[in-house]
Amino acid sequence: MSATLIKCFNLAKAVGTGAFRNALATSHSQVAAWSPATVGSLLKCGIHSNVPLQNEKLMEFFDDPKHWSETEVKVGRAWRTDELRIKSNKELHQLWYILLKERNMLFTMEHECNDKMEVFPNPERIDKIKISMENLETVVRERNKAYHLLETGETGERPQKQIHNAFGLRCNYKTIEHVLPPFMNTKWIKAQHNTYGGRAVHKFLLHYREKLYNVKRKAKNRSRNEVMMTLRRNPNIDLQMLKRKYPDVDIDKLLSQDKTRGHYVTKVDA
Amino acid sequence: MSTRWYPIYQRGNPQLRVFLPNFWMKLVRPTEEQPANVVTFAVSTQMTKHDVKNYLEKIYKIPVVDVRTRIALGDTKRDQVYGYITKNEDVKLAYVTMPKNEAFTFPDLFANKAEKQEKDEKSMDESKQGFRKFLDRNKKRPGTPGWYSI
Repeated sequence: MSATLIKCFNLAKAVGTGAFRNALATSHSQVAAWSPATVGSLLKCGIHSNVPLQNEKLMEFFDDPKHWSETEVKVGRAWRTDELRIKSNKELHQLWYILLKERNMLFTMEHECNDKMEVFPNPERIDKIKISMENLETVVRERNKAYHLLETGETGERPQKQIHNAFGLRCNYKTIEHVLPPFMNTKWIKAQHNTYGGRAVHKFLLHYREKLYNVKRKAKNRSRNEVMMTLRRNPNIDLQMLKRKYPDVDIDKLLSQDKTRGHYVTKVDA
Repeated sequence: MSTRWYPIYQRGNPQLRVFLPNFWMKLVRPTEEQPANVVTFAVSTQMTKHDVKNYLEKIYKIPVVDVRTRIALGDTKRDQVYGYITKNEDVKLAYVTMPKNEAFTFPDLFANKAEKQEKDEKSMDESKQGFRKFLDRNKKRPGTPGWYSI
């Protein structure tokens, strides 16, 4: 009541006394219309609605209460791509949200378990959800690709290309859409780091390539030495098998060398 | 927007729609005391306030009045032996306010954990004792199967 009166005074100040009288008259008539019974019921309603209700929807972030104190929660396996391929788009969409909610639930439970120094039962559930979601996405992507190829002749995937970065190393570049075309976008042209040069980069590349080459060279020598020692210890070994096992080693050349011969006198049949 | 690639938005275009969002949200126990209608979430770092609001309203059907977010710095820890420093990932915390007539109290998940554990241990002890009895009985006739005699 007092709040409405204050409002009325403010209004009167703003508009004029005539309006003030009208407002007062309406408020009086309203008071007369309220019987004690109606006021009581209103008050009761007010008290009832002020008691906040526990939100049940938020309990979706928690596991089933009967699993709370379990040490083992048994679940099935992840969804496979073949199973997902026979589902309709709508079903896949629904399944995605089920998986999403499940993952959120598991994350919540894991976090709470870690907080309370408890063991989170069956953490592989998270991996199963992850696998399912990946599989679902591949299926959706397949369909998307097929549709795009049919309609536009392109896959509809984000375009990518191989570029040299600032260190002169090849890396994958995912293209981005720009408002301006490249020839107009001078700021972008100046800022792009898709080129490389300079003495430091040259030196780095020299050392880096040397390192790569050394790895390759050592692997080659290692396999050659292995073949050599095998031949030395086992003169009657199956050469075809050796060739299959070490395709990079020139075994015929090795055989002609002295190194493959053992330190023993060859047995000569009488 | 989630981490997928979407076409650039230009004025007048239809609003972007996310069909398969890959954001995660987890409900965490609040560290400070909060009003009954405020819920704390840890969310994907890329999520905006609008994302959090839409996520809760559209997927979970939870009424949201207001969302405030902050990025909490991950803890750094120095290794005791080698002295190198490791850091946990930063996490975005969202404080979601629901309408006044809603409330949420974080449930106690491990209230009857001890009771259950005791029961489990008891049954384990019983089965152990049973096996010991079986071994005792079969001391003089090793290798006899369990169904041989009562």
